[in-house]
Amino acid sequence: MKKMLGKRALSSFVSLMVLIVLVFFLSRLTGDPAALYLPVDASEAMRENFREIHGLNDPVLVQFGRYLSDLIHLDFGDSLRKARPAIEVVLEAFVWTLQLAVITMALVTVAAIIVGSIAAFKVGRPFDRFASVLSLIGASAPDFWIAIVGIVLFSVTFGWLPTSGTGSVWHWILPISVLFIRPFGLILQVVRGSMINALGAPYVKTARAKGVKNRPVIFVHTLRNAMLPVITVIGDQAAALLNGAVVVETIFGFPGVGKLMIDSILQRDFNVILAAIMVTAIAIFIMNILIDIAYALLDPRIRA
Amino acid sequence: MSETTTDTATDAAKTPPVTATTGATGLRRILRMLWADKLAFMAMLFLLVVLLGALFGPMSLEEMTTKTNLRARNAPPFDLSRGFFYILGGDALGRPLLARIIVASQNTMVIAAGAVLGSLTVGATLGLIAGYAGRWTGEVIMRLADVIMSFPSLLLAVIVLYMLEPSIGNLVLVLAITRIPIYLRTTRAEVLEVRERMFVQAAKVMGASNRRIIFKHILPVILPTLLTIATLDFAFVMLAESALSFLGIGIQAPEVTWGLMVSQGRQYLTNAWWLAFWPGLAIILTTMSLNLLSSWMRVALNPTQRWRLEIGGNKNG
Amino acid sequence: MKQSTLLAGVLLATSALSPAFAQEANVTIVLGEEPDLVEPCMATRSNIGRIVLGNISETLTELDVRGDEGLKPRLAESWEMVDDTTWRFHLREGVTFSDGTAFDAADVKHSFERAGSDQITCEISRYYEGIDITPSVVDDLTIDFKTDPAQPILPLLLSLLTIVPSETPIEFTREPVGTGPYVLSDWQPGQSITLERREDYWGEQPAVTKATYAFRSDPSVRAAMVATGEADIAPSISAIDATTDMDMAYPNSETTYLRVDSSMAPLNDIRVRKALNLAIDRNAFIGTILAEGTQVATAINVPTTLGWNPDTKAWDYDVDAAKALLEEAKADGVPVDTEILLVGRTGNFPGATETYEAIQSMLSEAGFNVRLQMVEVAEHEQYYSKPYVQDQPVLVGAQHDNSRGDPVFSMYFKYHSDGRQSGIDDSHADELIEKATAATGEEREALWSELFGYLHDDVVADVLLFHMVGHARVGEAVDFTPTIATNSQLQLAEIGVK
Repeated sequence: MKKMLGKRALSSFVSLMVLIVLVFFLSRLTGDPAALYLPVDASEAMRENFREIHGLNDPVLVQFGRYLSDLIHLDFGDSLRKARPAIEVVLEAFVWTLQLAVITMALVTVAAIIVGSIAAFKVGRPFDRFASVLSLIGASAPDFWIAIVGIVLFSVTFGWLPTSGTGSVWHWILPISVLFIRPFGLILQVVRGSMINALGAPYVKTARAKGVKNRPVIFVHTLRNAMLPVITVIGDQAAALLNGAVVVETIFGFPGVGKLMIDSILQRDFNVILAAIMVTAIAIFIMNILIDIAYALLDPRIRA
Repeated sequence: MSETTTDTATDAAKTPPVTATTGATGLRRILRMLWADKLAFMAMLFLLVVLLGALFGPMSLEEMTTKTNLRARNAPPFDLSRGFFYILGGDALGRPLLARIIVASQNTMVIAAGAVLGSLTVGATLGLIAGYAGRWTGEVIMRLADVIMSFPSLLLAVIVLYMLEPSIGNLVLVLAITRIPIYLRTTRAEVLEVRERMFVQAAKVMGASNRRIIFKHILPVILPTLLTIATLDFAFVMLAESALSFLGIGIQAPEVTWGLMVSQGRQYLTNAWWLAFWPGLAIILTTMSLNLLSSWMRVALNPTQRWRLEIGGNKNG
Repeated sequence: MKQSTLLAGVLLATSALSPAFAQEANVTIVLGEEPDLVEPCMATRSNIGRIVLGNISETLTELDVRGDEGLKPRLAESWEMVDDTTWRFHLREGVTFSDGTAFDAADVKHSFERAGSDQITCEISRYYEGIDITPSVVDDLTIDFKTDPAQPILPLLLSLLTIVPSETPIEFTREPVGTGPYVLSDWQPGQSITLERREDYWGEQPAVTKATYAFRSDPSVRAAMVATGEADIAPSISAIDATTDMDMAYPNSETTYLRVDSSMAPLNDIRVRKALNLAIDRNAFIGTILAEGTQVATAINVPTTLGWNPDTKAWDYDVDAAKALLEEAKADGVPVDTEILLVGRTGNFPGATETYEAIQSMLSEAGFNVRLQMVEVAEHEQYYSKPYVQDQPVLVGAQHDNSRGDPVFSMYFKYHSDGRQSGIDDSHADELIEKATAATGEEREALWSELFGYLHDDVVADVLLFHMVGHARVGEAVDFTPTIATNSQLQLAEIGVK
């Protein structure tokens, strides 16, 4: 296990470095941050001065060298626009995204496993059809559309929930509900499919044929065997959420990493982009390790 | 995590494929299996309609959808006095929504199909190489997949659209690149498993060339899985394209896609709901149809499950 | 910390919901974008100025945007010209900064030098480009500004210079100190900024005791927040949502136009530029795609600007005349069939995409070969500012904001042959701009007036479109009327509490 961890860490590190190099050079090809930061009627001298202050006039390779040597000292550079360390900006936003992702995924996992399993036990029956179609409709609608309809309905018309922002527990309900829909539809499908397979396995059939009436026992055993593909999908979906839920964060004014990312990209705030990528990449790496551990616990063969 | 497969992968891979039945009998068999699943059948019909619209719509309706007519601005739906194509209402520039949805279906389909086919081809090829070639090549390709996966797709979109220019082709490129890892990882995982199986080993022993093994023995086994993923991905790409438009970095007017129509119409949600609703409905119906079709395909392509449809078909037929 | 935000949120929610708390005079203002900094010397940037100007930081002079008093004293009590090149300002006595130190002439000198320093990039220094200005302290409450060349509108320029204490380091600060009636008390990045009223402010105490700013990029969410009582003022909502009696329209000093690069054929032919103007039915936009109250523009500056020319008449809508002009130009060998690129910026103003789509359709109707391309802000900048794209003729749809009363803030940049966004190279226009910039009083007004007419009728420099209106939604608990300057500043003192 330790050896595997080491190997994983090394290969992830290599990927991360390649990623940093790519982002560093490619993002610098997308225009001059000075032109974006300063008003359109600013003079060339002001632009020049801005580039000079932020070291954007040096050859890109020199800039990269400087960035790397700072990085070794855990200095991620300053945000071009906010006059504060990029990593601070990113971590602040990441805490929000992490909470949002963890809560959403926890709810999705529990709900999808319960509904998906019931659907699998009742293949083709009304409950199964109903759950599948409904979850598919939800997962097929553009999320910004759902979000705005949600605000119009639950905040403006009924006045039940705050429209947006942060603060109380109530503020979390709408964003989480919107984020919930798509992974729920997807994971539900996988749970259902996987459970149907597992229920068809010889030992379950035997147990059922032998007249084991104890549904919970069947349920637990089948579930355990059906879990592997489910965990994979959960991992993929969680990774997507950790990258930030751009659309939802933008609409609800939620201060997460997705909103920070899109703003920084549009404003060419390179240091923030890089820091955000590194933080999310590390988070996803840790999550993947947790998933591997979950695999190992569920399937003894992998442990070996 | 990258070593595992999805459920679709495992059940399709349990047995080697039966040689495909050819000709009319095959088609009739497929139709019968489709008929057995009424939802999938309707989904197929709907997709055919969309396909026809995408093929012939722009040719015949282009004129109507570019001419602005401010007198019909936000014309309400279900009013035939302005003509049939206004049945779903008019948009903010008074253009008939129905005609625009039909015309937009072409771009929408081209983008989604282009991105899916592109990522499927590249991803599957790389995955085959990664699974079949030596450890080093495999390792490098897998790390490449990791890099693509953690490269923010929004940044990729901005980079490509800035350096090239915002066009449908370049958007397809962006979306295709971001979806490559899905196919790559699935393919590789399947190849790793399949190549240890008896019939592949046997072929090897009998001296079959690598190419022959890949195309004759491995590809047919993993193709069903890839196709299922591709149908699901088709829906995903449509939604991703829509989100990009919403954020202002995707397709922009005067080009038109369903996603762009929804994102432009959203500001009218409270006083002219139909602007965002109909194109949204088109997206939902199409993605749903694809999803239904994909779950039908999962059964139909799986020899151990296929009997469900065949029996059902007989019962109904 | 977590808990305190939660608590603050709960308090906020309850205070917004129950009228019993209204006497506290807390207001919540919801804006479209969060400022990156709350830095006084960046106050000319609208998202910073709306929070800083007149609330945290003050200026020596102030333009009256509600009445017509022109330039009013604020931190300066009076000013005069000592000689042709020297302005003297007499400062207000008894003013203190929020850190307790007293305000004097040294602070003004430091603020000016800090804003112009090359160690930071303060935006406002661009208005002092090309003029040599040396401040010198006469005594604690008197300061001289020596300019080279003469600068007749220096007092107006100083309405942009926010005053910071002389101890302020020359680097961007996130904890601004100013003489204004409010002090920044809390900043939760991504969520809110809170200003609280100072008890030791030199002037009249404003009614609002605490102001919280929230940030939502979607205009319909901003409107919804006022509707549900989560916010009191949304200074900018979409015209489409402005349908309730809480909403009011106001001219927001923005002017939209198509910048024409007249160095490229066929746009270098005046008949083609005239045809462009004749082909667009401007009135058809008003009350449809653009809000009721939008005005057809005949100049890049709004009618309240000095020297605005009432005699320039807007272009008629006449497709036939446009076609005839194009035919004529074509007969003379002008390549009128060349594809022209029309560049618009997504989200530049509400209805931007629809506006440009309609313009494209109108121009095509008249026989132009126009391709529309909507781009994001960085790409737009590539087209808008020099050096221009050279591979095809381009029309750039843009929006310009000048609420400061004098065309000097626009003319050089937009029409002088050296201006960064100028599409023309016309020596007479250059001369008029230079003369007007140096002139004062009636002469200045007359020169600007002549320039406006010349650009519109003789040069046909561009395709002027509209003076825009904004929409604000104001909740029932407060009293607030937006002004032409609400885009760039929002003084809390102007908010009444019911």
